Amino acid sequence: MLKIENLTATVGEGEDAKTILNGLSLAVPTGEVHAIMGPNGAGKSTLSYVLTGREGYAVTGGSATLNGADILALEPEARAAAGLFLSFQYPVEIPGVPVMTFVRTAMNAQRKARGETEISAPDFIKKSREIAKVLSLDPEMLKRPVNVGFSGGEKKRLEIYQMMMLEPRFMVLDETDSGLDIDALRTVAEGVNALRAPDRGMLVITHYQRLLDYIKPDKVHVLAKGRIIKTGGPELAHRLEAEGYDGVLAEAV
Amino acid sequence: MSTALKDLIRNPTIAELELVARFAALKADARRERLFEAFAQTGLPGRRIEGWRWTDFKAAVTSLDALKAAPVRDPLAQAGVATLRFTPAGYTAPATLPAGLKLLAKDDVQAMGGAEEAPLGALAAALSGGKTPGTLLVDVSAGAPVHLHMVFEGPGAINSARIVFLLRPGAELHVSESHLGGAALSTALVEFTLNKGARLHRTVYQIGGAGEAQAVTAIIEQDAGAESVLTTLAFGAKVARLETRLVHRETGSKATINAAYLAGAGLQADITTHVRHGAPSCVTRQLTKGAVLDGGRGVFQGKFHVPRTSGQQTDASMQHNALLLEEGAEVFAKPELEILADDVQCAHGNTSGALDAAQLFYLRQRGIPLTQARAMLTEAFIAQALEGAGDLEDALRAEAQAWLNHAA
Repeated sequence: MLKIENLTATVGEGEDAKTILNGLSLAVPTGEVHAIMGPNGAGKSTLSYVLTGREGYAVTGGSATLNGADILALEPEARAAAGLFLSFQYPVEIPGVPVMTFVRTAMNAQRKARGETEISAPDFIKKSREIAKVLSLDPEMLKRPVNVGFSGGEKKRLEIYQMMMLEPRFMVLDETDSGLDIDALRTVAEGVNALRAPDRGMLVITHYQRLLDYIKPDKVHVLAKGRIIKTGGPELAHRLEAEGYDGVLAEAV
Repeated sequence: MSTALKDLIRNPTIAELELVARFAALKADARRERLFEAFAQTGLPGRRIEGWRWTDFKAAVTSLDALKAAPVRDPLAQAGVATLRFTPAGYTAPATLPAGLKLLAKDDVQAMGGAEEAPLGALAAALSGGKTPGTLLVDVSAGAPVHLHMVFEGPGAINSARIVFLLRPGAELHVSESHLGGAALSTALVEFTLNKGARLHRTVYQIGGAGEAQAVTAIIEQDAGAESVLTTLAFGAKVARLETRLVHRETGSKATINAAYLAGAGLQADITTHVRHGAPSCVTRQLTKGAVLDGGRGVFQGKFHVPRTSGQQTDASMQHNALLLEEGAEVFAKPELEILADDVQCAHGNTSGALDAAQLFYLRQRGIPLTQARAMLTEAFIAQALEGAGDLEDALRAEAQAWLNHAA
């Protein structure tokens, strides 16, 4: 489903350009959930931004394909329409744009790009209500401007709300556990798990093993210095939690 | 007489000579002469005059030939609301007026306070007459809120109008104005006196072509406990000046002065305000938002004057925020607080910059195309400035939206 081969990328321009991804290869088959763990500065967030096309990052080599199609050549909105979704580590505040307006605009823009018909207002509201209930979101919150005045936990839950509304094919979750207490973590994980499906894939980026108790990965990759240095099963996450990154990093050298 | 006046304008341009001729053709009147003299001190104001540095009428108005402009749609037209129409060909008013409203079309010209400070307002007053009233007085008495709509439109060479409102104690007026251009030079002077406890809701829509000059001057004086809520949406013209001069002259008067400007290529929109806190415990809330494209120009000049003795317990804030949507967009801002009283609350803020890259990316990651994302963020950015327009807010927002979807 998602295939990344020998990807290199820099951040910054000209002489300040700094290589962050350094020959990263990774494959997430359809229907699987993979976790990426790594120390600070390993390139975890850069990977999520390069995949989704944020400005300021330049791909200098390698490839990334979603279901065989090159995604790196596409504009960010076209990647979204192709089914790629990023749950942001730091969700952005959009003053003046209510959540419902925002998500409905996004949904219809994606549908239009795929040649599908727009969702009707009653269908949209019905779907929104159901999902808000699953995530224990106050419906009043969805009338407020996107993320403005929301707590850290509310912002993360709103990311998952958007994800469930938009029903992407492939999801990248960047440090979704940061800023969440244990109850919120459980709610968020329930939402994420509800989206696990044979035709979907997921990449869960995290610093800690904790999240993986709730979202069980099929595989765990260790990212360090811009490349995957080790891949294993869920037990690898437990080992990292117990021993820290140093042991695994030393082994890989 | 006209020869002497002509000499008052130093090195007159062809357009200024035409204005002198236009004035000379009107019925002689000592007050008219005084007003034209006030205008003639500067002539068409331009960059050499303080307050007109970025809005150069002298350079922009090269000729006063009649324009054959196509009619412009009026988004503020409302069924059932009495409408006054001002064109270069004359003025029309409906046969029946709402209760509480009286019109008095006077042949002669009424004096204007502070004419020297508002040269294009003085010009509008000096050129009123002939096909239009010398002064159109509108008397609003207390009772149910009174609604009135005014349209200023072409086609023609010069469109000038002067309307003087008197809001009697406790009166409430909702007035909307559509300044649609269509003349080489359009200049309107609208004066409001708000007696004790009177309320004014004024909503202004301005649009003009790249070959037109427009000036809308408002002079507002407020008595004790009077309140005004002013909302403007301006799309600019070759040069467009929307100037408001407001005086709180008795205690407890309150003003909300909001404006949004959207300037595309070849267009300029100037929002200039002057507020004098001439009595204690008065409140002014001012918010101006703008967005400008490549080749467009936005101007904001705001001044609060708070005198030492009369301005105590003033509560005033001024905010101007502009978005430069493209390279080549220009915004000039001059916020000025002149505060001589010591027991006051005055705040101001002024920013200009590009759209936030993180916000744009967030919208695009959710599948919203770049152009639509820009339009959405810009609309959200200016929306607050239009909130005071009440029933007309949706109409203004729709115009802004259409512009943004077309422009971005």
